[in-house]
Amino acid sequence: MSFSQLGLVGLVLYLFMLVGLALVARRARQDASPADHFLANRGLGLFVVFLTLYATAYSGNSLLGYPGEAYRRGFSWVMATGFMMAITVVFHILVPRLRPIAMRERFVTPGDWVRHRFGDAPGGQALRWVIGALMAVALANFLLAQLMAMGHVTSEVTGGAVPYAVGVVGLAALILFYETVGGMRAVAWTDAGQGVLMLVGLLLLLTWLLGDAGGLASLTESVRAVRPDAVRVPDTVERTNWVSTIVLLGLASVVYPQAIQRIYAARSGRTLARAFALMTFMPLITTLVVTLIGLAAIPRFEALGAVQADTVMPRILESWAAAGPGSSALAVLVFVGALAAIMSTADSCLLSLGSIVAVDLMGRDRHEAATTKLGKQYAAAMMVVLVGVALFPRFTLWRLIELKMELLIQCVPAFLLALHWPGLRARPVLFGAVAGTLLAAGAALLGEKRWAGVHVGVVGLALNLAVVMAMALIERRRA
Amino acid sequence: MGKIRAGLLVLIGVLYALSIPWYREGGADPELWLGLPDWVAVAVLCYAGAAVLNAAAWLVTDVRDEDEGDA
Repeated sequence: MSFSQLGLVGLVLYLFMLVGLALVARRARQDASPADHFLANRGLGLFVVFLTLYATAYSGNSLLGYPGEAYRRGFSWVMATGFMMAITVVFHILVPRLRPIAMRERFVTPGDWVRHRFGDAPGGQALRWVIGALMAVALANFLLAQLMAMGHVTSEVTGGAVPYAVGVVGLAALILFYETVGGMRAVAWTDAGQGVLMLVGLLLLLTWLLGDAGGLASLTESVRAVRPDAVRVPDTVERTNWVSTIVLLGLASVVYPQAIQRIYAARSGRTLARAFALMTFMPLITTLVVTLIGLAAIPRFEALGAVQADTVMPRILESWAAAGPGSSALAVLVFVGALAAIMSTADSCLLSLGSIVAVDLMGRDRHEAATTKLGKQYAAAMMVVLVGVALFPRFTLWRLIELKMELLIQCVPAFLLALHWPGLRARPVLFGAVAGTLLAAGAALLGEKRWAGVHVGVVGLALNLAVVMAMALIERRRA
Repeated sequence: MGKIRAGLLVLIGVLYALSIPWYREGGADPELWLGLPDWVAVAVLCYAGAAVLNAAAWLVTDVRDEDEGDA
């Protein structure tokens, strides 16, 4: 059986498993409330919380975008291990303060915090809408990146037997099915299985690559031989970009709506703390591993000329599959793991998106069963639109991630600052978020990514914070 | 407990600062260490240390499920 045939078999088996899990999750449903559908009735235990956080954070970006970036930028992409770990460090500022309030007030969406914190004070309602809109746009962007990644993986690994467009449409329909049927339970349970598959697959692939290269030192020397710049100490702009990326990803990722909802969904605070203690090690066995995989592609593909960054991982899988029948089966496992990781992020985005649009933007009651239905309908509508966009891709995956982060990071003061600054009012946060967003989005639309290595989103956050501080000072003097 | 956690977070910050090769001239050709360019090996060791400290910090963090006060 050829690799592409094995890939198809693996894909079909995996998809059947997802449908089965969704039906089991449906039976475990306790009621039709938004808390049950969007948060699994706040009953997720340690390993499910840990694996769902893991599978949600490590996505198509990790599996396709990061090896592509390591291939493009060389060893300086070790920064990815740092910024992925920074996320679990920055959560220290958010989780211990937010979790008790969220439990007491029965939060369902991230906007519930903004509503609780700023209420109907001047600017409070507008701030809730701005934060909801930023999160919805960022989630839609993230979901779009996952849809594109699903299309690339299925097309590349099945040798075109499943074309890009069929991969995008078919898998999007399946995600919509199990998310609608099973809600957070289906998403979290499939995340758990997907997380394990991804981890095992990546470790096996790295083992093969290192064995094939003759060890880590040989691999590094091979990279140096074909592309010396990939090994050299990065220059000042690249080092500045290293800091900027840690700030951008570390801060923006903690206000991921789907991550915030997992803080609400955990069974207990202790469970959550233990899950984060486990999560902190995952960059070393996931991000570092995919970075090395991308680096191993440099000596393999350098002679082929320009290789599109997003296709590095599928090309490596093809090389592995060609090494023999055993490798072929293992490569299929990695393929399914990669697809699993991508789908797990997509389903989390979709679930969050539905709840944010229904509750935070449309203002529906977060405790009513009708809100659950409405959230599902909005999620379906968004999915249809995004599938249409994904069929005509214009950006690389990493660029999509950066765009998302540049918007999301503007929500940071409304969460991290507002949790620790009791006197902070809504209007300074609102004006700060608007100013930061206009700067970051404007620069991005003009084609600016970074200034002297600093992401425009980080510059936008600096402006955002400056506006917050200045306005807070003015309001205090007036009072 | 709060002081231990704060101390651990400060140490993590120090490791993050050390992970970026400000101490080397940009464009320099590195030696290999642990099979990696030396500045990459330093970064990986810093992140491994940060992971251990961060896990410890989470294990001493009291994440309560209810509170009396407000933010």
